[in-house]
Amino acid sequence: MKLFLKEHALLIVIQIIQFSAVMSIYWLDGYRNVGPALYSIMLGLFFLGGYLCYQYYSRRHYYRRLQEPLLSLDDSVQQLDQAPVSEALEQLLRQQYRYYQQRLATINQQQQEHLTFMNQWVHQMKTPLSVIELTVQDVDEPEFASIREELERMSSGLNTILYMARLRTFEQDFHIRSISLSEVIREVVQEHKRLFIRNQVYPDVKIKDGDLWTESDQKWLFFMVSQLVVNAVKYSAHTNNKVILSSYIVGHQAVIEVQDYGVGIPASDIKRVFEPFFTGENGRHFRESTGMGLYLTHEAAQRLDHQLELESTVNQGTTVRILFPSYQR
Amino acid sequence: MQTILIVEDDRKIAELLQSYIVKYGYHVIVTTDFEHVLQQFQQEQPDMVLLDVNLPSYDGYYWCRQIRAHSICPVIFISARAGEMDQIMALENGADDYITKPFDYGIVMAKIRSHLRRAYGEYASKHEEIILHKEGLSLYPERLELHYNNQSVLLTKKEADIIESLIERHPRVASREALLEKLWDDQTYVDENTLNVNITRVRKKFLDLGLLDAVETVRGIGYRLYISWNQDDGL
Repeated sequence: MKLFLKEHALLIVIQIIQFSAVMSIYWLDGYRNVGPALYSIMLGLFFLGGYLCYQYYSRRHYYRRLQEPLLSLDDSVQQLDQAPVSEALEQLLRQQYRYYQQRLATINQQQQEHLTFMNQWVHQMKTPLSVIELTVQDVDEPEFASIREELERMSSGLNTILYMARLRTFEQDFHIRSISLSEVIREVVQEHKRLFIRNQVYPDVKIKDGDLWTESDQKWLFFMVSQLVVNAVKYSAHTNNKVILSSYIVGHQAVIEVQDYGVGIPASDIKRVFEPFFTGENGRHFRESTGMGLYLTHEAAQRLDHQLELESTVNQGTTVRILFPSYQR
Repeated sequence: MQTILIVEDDRKIAELLQSYIVKYGYHVIVTTDFEHVLQQFQQEQPDMVLLDVNLPSYDGYYWCRQIRAHSICPVIFISARAGEMDQIMALENGADDYITKPFDYGIVMAKIRSHLRRAYGEYASKHEEIILHKEGLSLYPERLELHYNNQSVLLTKKEADIIESLIERHPRVASREALLEKLWDDQTYVDENTLNVNITRVRKKFLDLGLLDAVETVRGIGYRLYISWNQDDGL
């Protein structure tokens, strides 16, 4: 309505000027009969009003369309009015819609191909990686320790890619069942034993409140705790500090906590640590930060209905907790 | 001697596995003809099969079903695919276990042994007791005993592990990292202090056998077995 009035304001003003111009010509000519003059003005206004009403009524969808924002791409293909302008707009929007649909489909397909390729490639890379790993596994010379370290880095990188891909198809990929928290902690520590030893940081596992069981996805939970442990070790390397892994109960929730006494996260960065590709202050000092670990952990936590808490003080360390809404003993 | 059949199309992995498993006293056959895995299986009658999922013609699941139609011998899958579905598929198709690449020799060996034990009984495999000899010193890692000159001392598991590493590495240095890795098992997480304590205990055990300064510290790297006794004894 507003837009319609704005668009026709000039017409209304011109009409009024026109009435007064015609009236003043008659007035100046000496024709001073007020009654018929007013009547003809009334008549003129009536026709103008009629025109405007018809115009508005026949194009009301068109005007509404022009004023309302599009909420989704599908909004652009609504049925408009019969008026020529409305039909033109409708057609234009339809065309645009079709065009974008095509673009989207192409891009989707390209992305799908790319993803499939990445997945295949990651799996293919695992075989040469296994060969190298098996070759160097039993050789205990200093240079081979360094090769092993790089191998671990590569395979953890490949794993992150796989989990990234899995996140997209999360709904098909997760499998909820009862899981023992202490078991997960033990497995994670075992998995990363070389990382601990190499960085001279040692785990301290504290299983309080007995063995707690909760509903979760084994693979994702393992991945999440692994990410927290890898971070904890990385940011407290060579400090001779421990990384404390604990499980306990708070209120009605079970908790897995990973606490380190490392460099900590600057307060300005804490809010953003769960954003993808965010590496922050520490990312500049420690290489190989991709900014994906905590993002993936956070995303997985959300989808699994676990809560993630992070506290950190610079130079004193970081504590991250995964909270599970329910548990059994 | 028990026979293990490896069906894996990556030649290098197959060979590495073969050479590793052979060390433990098994007879290992590596498949080269992936069209006729079943025939080879029936010919060789292996006691266990290690099977890859991705194979050139048929996949591992197919061969597993084929093998299952004829035998109940243990089948362990080895695959790069780590998805839950793949593991379920493997087990549904008759496999006994599933190991994902990249894997660890230790885990493969432990699983092979445990499945052989399951299938053929603890004593079916008459594998000989392992004894490590070095200059008159004999370590019995399975009995946790160290013998020298008709004398013997009892060891803890950790002490035995340390001595085993030292003997295997001699005359090279066993690095602290390697020792830590060896001592670190499922339940206990070993730190530097624990290693120091255990090294001290090992020294004490050597002293009990009358061997002085048997463990030499190499600063910054690790420890080395120092053999000063063989000249006199002529052993």
